Order: sequence, then structure tokens, then C-alpha cells
Amino acid sequence: MKRAPDEDQLVPRHLAEPVPRHLEENVERNEFPVAKGDDVVGRLGFLHLEKGDTLPDIARHFGLGINDVSAANPGVDMWAPKAGERIMLPLSFILPDAPRKDIVINLAAMRLFQFKGGSEPLTVLTYPAGVGTDERPSPTGQMYVERKAFRPTWHVPASIAEDHRKKGDPLPAKVLPGPQNPLGECALYLSKSSYLIHGTNKPASIGLRATNGCIRLYPEDVRKLYENTPVKTAVNIVEQPYLLGQSNGVVYLEVHAPLENLNSAEFDKIYAKLKNIEKESGRTLDWSKVKNVLAEARGIPVPIFEVRQGSGKGVAEPVEVKHPGELYGRPKIPELKTDAWSVLAADVRDEIDAVRLSAIINHQGPQIPARVLARNGSYRVVAGPFNDAREAKEAIKRLKIDLEIDGTLIEPVKKKLSGGRG
Amino acid sequence: MKSLLAISMMLVSALAMGGCASTRELEKVQSQQMMTDAKADQAAKDAQAAKAASDAATLKANEAAARAENALKMAEERAKIADEKAKIADEKASKADDVFRKSMRK
Repeated sequence: MKRAPDEDQLVPRHLAEPVPRHLEENVERNEFPVAKGDDVVGRLGFLHLEKGDTLPDIARHFGLGINDVSAANPGVDMWAPKAGERIMLPLSFILPDAPRKDIVINLAAMRLFQFKGGSEPLTVLTYPAGVGTDERPSPTGQMYVERKAFRPTWHVPASIAEDHRKKGDPLPAKVLPGPQNPLGECALYLSKSSYLIHGTNKPASIGLRATNGCIRLYPEDVRKLYENTPVKTAVNIVEQPYLLGQSNGVVYLEVHAPLENLNSAEFDKIYAKLKNIEKESGRTLDWSKVKNVLAEARGIPVPIFEVRQGSGKGVAEPVEVKHPGELYGRPKIPELKTDAWSVLAADVRDEIDAVRLSAIINHQGPQIPARVLARNGSYRVVAGPFNDAREAKEAIKRLKIDLEIDGTLIEPVKKKLSGGRG
Repeated sequence: MKSLLAISMMLVSALAMGGCASTRELEKVQSQQMMTDAKADQAAKDAQAAKAASDAATLKANEAAARAENALKMAEERAKIADEKAKIADEKASKADDVFRKSMRK
């Protein structure tokens, strides 16, 4: 796409006001060609939110993780963003600094890359991932897919069983396939014992450090990976919070770690590379810009240097994306029925609090349907409908254990029997 | 002695002549004095009026300043309340996020 003559600077265009242009209906989100010598794929997008959108729903629809969308849009309420708000879709990625073959997972970016077509043209399929917590981190290093399983049974590890027992939520020794199974529908068992790449029954956890070390993918992504990945495929897991890459003569920097969590070893590597760029080009880098990118840590490739003067014209143009209306994977909320059981999850004065809580409950895995009912200046969050008292009580238990909410059981309204004789 | 007499005569005649002049002069002086008095009265009145106006303006200005100060204080108060509200909202959102993140574990 041609740029206007006055746009010859390395301006982070996504920070500027939008230029009116036609809206793209389809934007590439998972599969990208990799041009020779290029390290950056995809392009940034922008979208205007509609009423009822949440960032996790937007993230899933566009093949992004929650981390991607929240880091790119600081200050936007994840659960109750304003309708009409313009947000960035960070659909551009710097490929990890690793051989471009098979599967590479960058834990810092919470993203899996699968390279296809060993020689040119190279294609990369990329999916957002959920990774291990600080207490139980995902492993790094070279491993491979040892076996695969469709509709796997989850054999609960002793450490997780103990955690659940402590929470008052004991688990069975094994969980069969179905909505309660946290492995989802597909699992790829890695050679590093007890670590898997698998689906999930909590899609909203993609882009979070929430696993016990496994790599979680959206159900729709793990299915594609499962089909595309033969047993023995190599898997290289890296931790690269600072990524440097070139595309069309422009150097980009992508940062995934806030300054307070500075990874010194990785940072030193990047610093050495930046100094080398200066040395080779014989020109000085804009270090204040580098500092800003590091401070903001927005997880998007930001142009920081022209390899040749004027090559900044090669900076990819962001695209304005048309709101799809219906978002893929967005939790459906069935209508409340007066003759069904339900649960009062909260009664609050602030509408935003109610909307936020309702959205969080809806995004549990498996889903607990919930909605906000306005009543005399207060807002009630009601979960349901449930088929019977047992289901409703199970929801109350989950609300308590997972979200620390004390739910109140609401019995069905009994239908009055007609007294007439007809 | 002669000279003393001559001087005395000259003085008397001068006084006599001066007496004739002073009646007209006196009237003139009196008239001028009246005018001056009137002017002075007017000036005093004007000054009083100006002072009164100035006092009123000062009072008004003081009142306006007090109102402005009050408005500023109230605006500061409102900004403080808004800040606190925003802080509470941020804390609520952050707390909700924390609870959500925890709930997403296996």
C-alpha cells in the first residue's frame, strides 16, 4: 500500500488518529507467508467495539490471547469496555529467534508458531497460548511430540489433586472426555514427561499464565494443530520477551515484559543486537524510542530504525477492521425462565460492576450463563437457567470456589393451578 | 524728622488708596473663594462618591474572588472525588481481573 509523501518517518502509526478508509471484512489472523529475510508477519488492525463486547471475546474471534489484546490496549476495561471505543488488534508478530522449522513456542509472547514448507515459500501458522504460572512454569528447551490423543482422559496429577482438595473441590483420579475435562478435545503429549499441548474447557484462559506447565490452545486452534502435526514433530520452547526483527528494511522491536519484570539475560542479548545495528549502519539509534517501547511493553512490533534511510516507507499499514457482528466462541446466554432454577450471584449499585461480574461468570469454563437485571436502582447478576436444583447448587459451589461469590439459590416460580372447572 | 513725616504721609495715602481697591478686590476674592469652596465641596463629594464606588468595587471584587476561590475549592474537591472514584473503579476492575485469572487455573 502506498503512503503519503509526508509519512516518511518511522511513526508508530497505530498511535495516530485513524485515517478514514474502507473497512476490511476479513483479516488474516493465524496463517502468514514468511518472506525471505523477513522476521515480521501480519499487520495491525483496528476495530470499533459494539455494545456488549468484551476483550476476551474479541481476542478469541481474531485468534488472539487476552494478553495480546490487553497489552495492546492499556486502560481499556477488559469486561465492560465502552461501545464505540476503538481498539487495536495486534495481529502482527515478530518470529522468535529460533530455527524456523516445526513448532516453536515463545512463552513470553504466549504464542505458538508452526512452520510449514521447509524450503521456500515458508508459511507460519500461529496460535495464542495459555502457559504455566510462575509457581509451575512451562518448561523450555527442545522436545518433541511423543504421542497424540483425541478426546483424551485427564489423569489428575497428585500435585493438582492436592491443590483442589485444599480448596474443598476434590477431583476424581481421572476425568473422562467431556465439558469438565480441562484438556479439551485434543492433546499432544510432549517428550518432556507430563507436559502437553492441549485444548481447554476454559477458552478465556488463553493468553494467561494459568496452567500447571502445559500449553493450552483455543479448541479451534488445537484441532488444527492436532491435524497438522505428526508424532515426532520437534517442539522448541523458548522464553523471549524482547524480540527484534526486520521487514522491508525496517527494524522492529516487540516487548512482552514490563520493566519491573526485566529479564536481564534476554535484555542483554537484545541490547547487544541493537548496538550491533548501530555499528553496522554507522548511524545512531533513537534510544528514547527504544526506551518507550520497553516501558510500554505493548507486545506489538514497533518500527525503531530504518536500515537504509527512506526504507521506513515499508512500514506495514494498519487496517481498519469491520466489526463482525457475531463473535466466534462468544458465550451464548440463554433466556431466564421463571419455571427454572437460577442463582442470585450479586446485587450491586454500580451497573459496570454488575456487567463485569456477569461477563466473568459467563466466561468460566464450562460456562455458567449469567446476565444483569436492573431493579429499583440496583443491578442483580443472576446465573441460570438451571434444569434442576442439583445443577443450580453445583453452580453455587463453583461460584464460591472459583470466584469467591456467595450465590443464593432461586427456586422456580410455581405455576398456579387453575381452580375453575372448565 | 521731615523724612519721617514724608514716609508717614506716603503710607497713609497708600492705605487710603488700598482701602478703595480692597472693596472690589475683597468681593472678587470672596467670589473666588466661594467658587473654590464650591469646587472643593464638589471635589470632596466626587472623592466620596469615587471612594464609595471604589469600596463597592473592592467589595464586589472581594466577593468575586471569594466566589472564585470557593469554586476552585469545590472543583478541586470534585476532582478529588472523581480521582477517588476512578481509583476505586480501577481497584474494582483489577480485583475482578485477579479473581478471574485465578478462576482460569485447572
